[in-house]
Amino acid sequence: MTLKPVYLVEGRRSPQAKAGMDLKDVQAPFLINYLIRHIVDKTAIPNDVIDDVIIGCVGNPVKYPNIGRVIALEAGLHKKTPGATINRNCAAGMAAMAEAHIRIGSGRDNLIFAGGVESMSNMPLMFNKKMTNLFANLFKAKTPVQKLSVLAKFRPDFLVPIIAIQKALIDPFANVNMGMTAEILAREFGITRKEQDEYANYSHHKAAIATKEGRFKDEILPIIYGKNLDRILDKDIGPRGDSSVEGLAKMRPFFDKKAGTVTIGNACPVTDGGSCWLMASEEAVKKYNLEPMARVVDWHFHGLEPERMGMGPLLAMDGVFKRSGMKVDDMDVFEINEAFAAQLLGVLRGMTDKKVADFFGVDTLWGEIPKENLNPNGGGIALGHPVGSTGSRIVVTLAHELKKRKAKYGMASLCVGGGQGGAMIIENLCK
Amino acid sequence: MTYNKILFEVKGEIAYLGFGHNNEKSMTVLDSESLKDLDGIVSELKKSVKAKKVAGVILHTLKNGCFLAGADINMIASLKTEDEAATGAAGGQRIFSDLEDLQVPKIACVDGVCLGGGFELVLACDKILASDSNKTMFALPEVKLGLIPGFGGTYRLPQKIGIPNAMDMILTGKNVRAKKAKRMGLVSEIYAKEMLLEMALRHLKSKEKKKSLGKSLSHFAMDNFVTRKIIFQKVREAVLKKTKGFYQAPLTIIDVMESGISKSRKNYLPREAAAFGELCISDQSQNLQHIFFLMEGTKKIKGSAKAGNLDRGAVLGAGTMGGGIAWLMADNGMSPILKDINLEALELGLKQSGIVFKKAVKKRQMSNDDFERKQRSISPCLNYDDFKNTDLVIEAIVENMELKKKVFAELEKYVRDDTVITSNTSSLSVAEMSSAMEKPERFAGLHFFNPVNMMPLVEIITHEKTSQEVVASLHKWAVRVKKTPIIVKDGPGFLVNRVLMPFLNESAYLLEEGLSIKDLDRAVLNFGMPMGPCRLLDEVGFDIGLHASNVLHEGLGERMKPCSFLSRLVDQEFLGKKNGRGFYLYDEKGKQSGINEELASKLPSKTIKMDEVDIQKRLILPMINEAANILHDGIVESAALVDVGVIFGLGFPPFRGGLLRYADYEGLDRILECIENLASGVSAVRYEPSPYLKNLVEKKKKFYD
Repeated sequence: MTLKPVYLVEGRRSPQAKAGMDLKDVQAPFLINYLIRHIVDKTAIPNDVIDDVIIGCVGNPVKYPNIGRVIALEAGLHKKTPGATINRNCAAGMAAMAEAHIRIGSGRDNLIFAGGVESMSNMPLMFNKKMTNLFANLFKAKTPVQKLSVLAKFRPDFLVPIIAIQKALIDPFANVNMGMTAEILAREFGITRKEQDEYANYSHHKAAIATKEGRFKDEILPIIYGKNLDRILDKDIGPRGDSSVEGLAKMRPFFDKKAGTVTIGNACPVTDGGSCWLMASEEAVKKYNLEPMARVVDWHFHGLEPERMGMGPLLAMDGVFKRSGMKVDDMDVFEINEAFAAQLLGVLRGMTDKKVADFFGVDTLWGEIPKENLNPNGGGIALGHPVGSTGSRIVVTLAHELKKRKAKYGMASLCVGGGQGGAMIIENLCK
Repeated sequence: MTYNKILFEVKGEIAYLGFGHNNEKSMTVLDSESLKDLDGIVSELKKSVKAKKVAGVILHTLKNGCFLAGADINMIASLKTEDEAATGAAGGQRIFSDLEDLQVPKIACVDGVCLGGGFELVLACDKILASDSNKTMFALPEVKLGLIPGFGGTYRLPQKIGIPNAMDMILTGKNVRAKKAKRMGLVSEIYAKEMLLEMALRHLKSKEKKKSLGKSLSHFAMDNFVTRKIIFQKVREAVLKKTKGFYQAPLTIIDVMESGISKSRKNYLPREAAAFGELCISDQSQNLQHIFFLMEGTKKIKGSAKAGNLDRGAVLGAGTMGGGIAWLMADNGMSPILKDINLEALELGLKQSGIVFKKAVKKRQMSNDDFERKQRSISPCLNYDDFKNTDLVIEAIVENMELKKKVFAELEKYVRDDTVITSNTSSLSVAEMSSAMEKPERFAGLHFFNPVNMMPLVEIITHEKTSQEVVASLHKWAVRVKKTPIIVKDGPGFLVNRVLMPFLNESAYLLEEGLSIKDLDRAVLNFGMPMGPCRLLDEVGFDIGLHASNVLHEGLGERMKPCSFLSRLVDQEFLGKKNGRGFYLYDEKGKQSGINEELASKLPSKTIKMDEVDIQKRLILPMINEAANILHDGIVESAALVDVGVIFGLGFPPFRGGLLRYADYEGLDRILECIENLASGVSAVRYEPSPYLKNLVEKKKKFYD
């Protein structure tokens, strides 16, 4: 089925802050609703013409069972605007964009807000199974004697909480921590600690310079925060201009504590943030005089062994190159999320090393990505990785970078917990 | 018999009284016709009950959002003598007592507002059921009009909810919503409004539960001689403190309630009716009723049919005023855009707004979720990118004509052609600002008073080219955001500041002549103003006052020349409360503590003593004189608008009915004579009698004729 052109009209993101920092008290809907309001204002489209709001979110907050709809309402869109939440783990934001692409490309819809959000600061602690059972029995008990006998079964270990974020970072199928999946890649492909630390350090410096030079100014929309909601944050909290390879080398391996190479320093931090695109059909672009930033060329999601999930981008990019008939040389910029330095270096190796490519069943060696075209403003290690958002955040960053470079094509790709990769190619339309 | 105002039906031995029958207006009031209907219905019911044809009575409303909004104020205003008023009250009391005495259960189903006489009516029922609508509320606002509830409310309410709660409601006139009314024991149960009548039938059948032990105990604690004595004493003290003794109605209410608390209904009610008669024709009540009508008047203007909806707002400049206006817009669902030149400035604006919201959260008038939503509905920004959807832009940047002109010229490039653009200037010429614009017809002044959340007045300032549609839209918008708008023509100081400035200027002259800060402020406070001129200058800022004064001087001539004493203070960096160098010292919370001796030492060493009345004359007469000039220049259309301006913009004492009503009351010939005396005794320039005033005196007319 051929799809009609689908435009990326306006894309914005919130500043990203390490969990527990400046944005810790901002509930997830408010990390993104204001982006939509801004885009509606800037494009001057009426608030009642949006066909859907599709939002990627992984740790969907208990208070907002369908955060997509909540965001639509909190953004001031007309109450008739529907909203959905979508979850493809780390690629949730990209999955939202992919769905919007199909919906608009097929001619069903004209205007969709697609994006992602995650407040990792607000992931809850939960009661464990034993305690939950005790509560359930307590509700069932009718007489005081029954109630007492239920309560008598209480043991202190009932109070050991389940930390949602910890659970979320362990693969339920392979039962390995995300960090361990990076360790596996490092071990199998001989990616050294030094290589990882150097890469992480480079990411921090690029991000710090980009922040200092105001390269994120167009993509970040300042956000209100603080206890009294009277502060405004306009930059990422995470990039460190004073990072050094020596400093990173001092950090202890976190996941494989004895023989590992993956540290907190060469991995991305858990983060709060949101990102969003207004996507539109040709018809809508004409009707509302929109000036799209970019166009979706194609995208691809691909699965692999959960314990090697970090290689996902290799497979996803392979897929989207084949779908679009394009190659590395056609791309002016790559935004590949950095979940772990080891993981990203593994992907790059897979593009040039036949042994690695063969291991993952990739039959094409796509070749080297020029250094200056890969994550030119730093990546997840410095900027953070608000899981639900990153899939759309990297497309936002990519589109703005293409615009600045007056370049044409760009690739956004990321690895996905659970063993997947996602990749999307876009074409810059800003002259 | 048929009734025109009340829908009277008997269905299955239940009598239904539906209010709002044949009423086209949104609010139903108890006018003389509906009271007559009620009287007829109650006498009919008496017979039916005796004949066992009616076993229960249900009162309800046919209107959405209104049960009964009280007695018709036009009816009250038409009462001419004490006797007539007292008899009127007694008549109502008798009907309500007859209703109360019917030997069947009576239930009131209240949905919407239930105020004054309407509230007193439902108190005569056995039970009140309320709807869960947020429009449902109970209040006895009579005190705000200088009256006592005259239909038995002061007798029945304490019986229902106890003396302390009843006193609180009666003396403040405040609204009590359904939930709180239930907690107080005023309302038996709350239901969805659609279920009220069905549930009322159930209540008619069920027996009244006995009072709980706790309730009986608290009742016992309140209902003995000693505690009652203490309660009334405390209440009286509190009222005196709050009203500074200026208002007589609250004190009369306390007297009536205290003297009659243990009396029977028959013995109590005549005293209430008599007090109503006495208060109703008092000057104070007449003045307060006058203000009520003034306020009602501001809600309507000519050409209102042309008014458009201003839904989306934007504010330029995030200072004290800008932040306050952003709060107002956010609170009223306008999701304002707040623009300034850097993040620090924007944060100040957010802080302004946040403080007001947080106070409401603290007082539980607002939930935390609503705070989050409303405060976050403000979009802080540094450019005009997002202004295309705005309907109303209010500029609140620094008072600099050239800068403002530049801003408006730029702004016009980014907004729609029909976006209304306004300036919150307090002193600059609106006409001149508009000269820089491509479409001056969409431009007007919109002058708010500080602090925006507290001050009800807003001056809509028009210039020659302002279109009727724009004026009508701004007026409609101001009413929607619960402000009191007055339409004022462009001119130095517009209305309020032009009246205020001679008062402040004259204060400075008095200080220069050797009057003490204390004597000056006390005289003004004793006139009934909310604060003395020194305190007011502290709040306004000396520099701001001087600036406004200079603008008026430039525009209106020598009579407005600022007293040199004020400019000397500004030169010495005395700016008022904001830099901690004003007439008074303030603690951390901004509360006034004592005189600032550093400033006091700048006052002349030779001191003078003046009679309080003479001080008041020196200050109030120039205001009256300037108000006459304002009418002469056609800045506002009527004396009524001047009075709305001074009451809601300056806090001119409401019990005096307004500046010009006060002047009328004192007699304009006397006023003119005093002004002429001051012209010869103090300053011929500053006290030059207004030709408008002279003309009125000549023709033996009043401001309000």
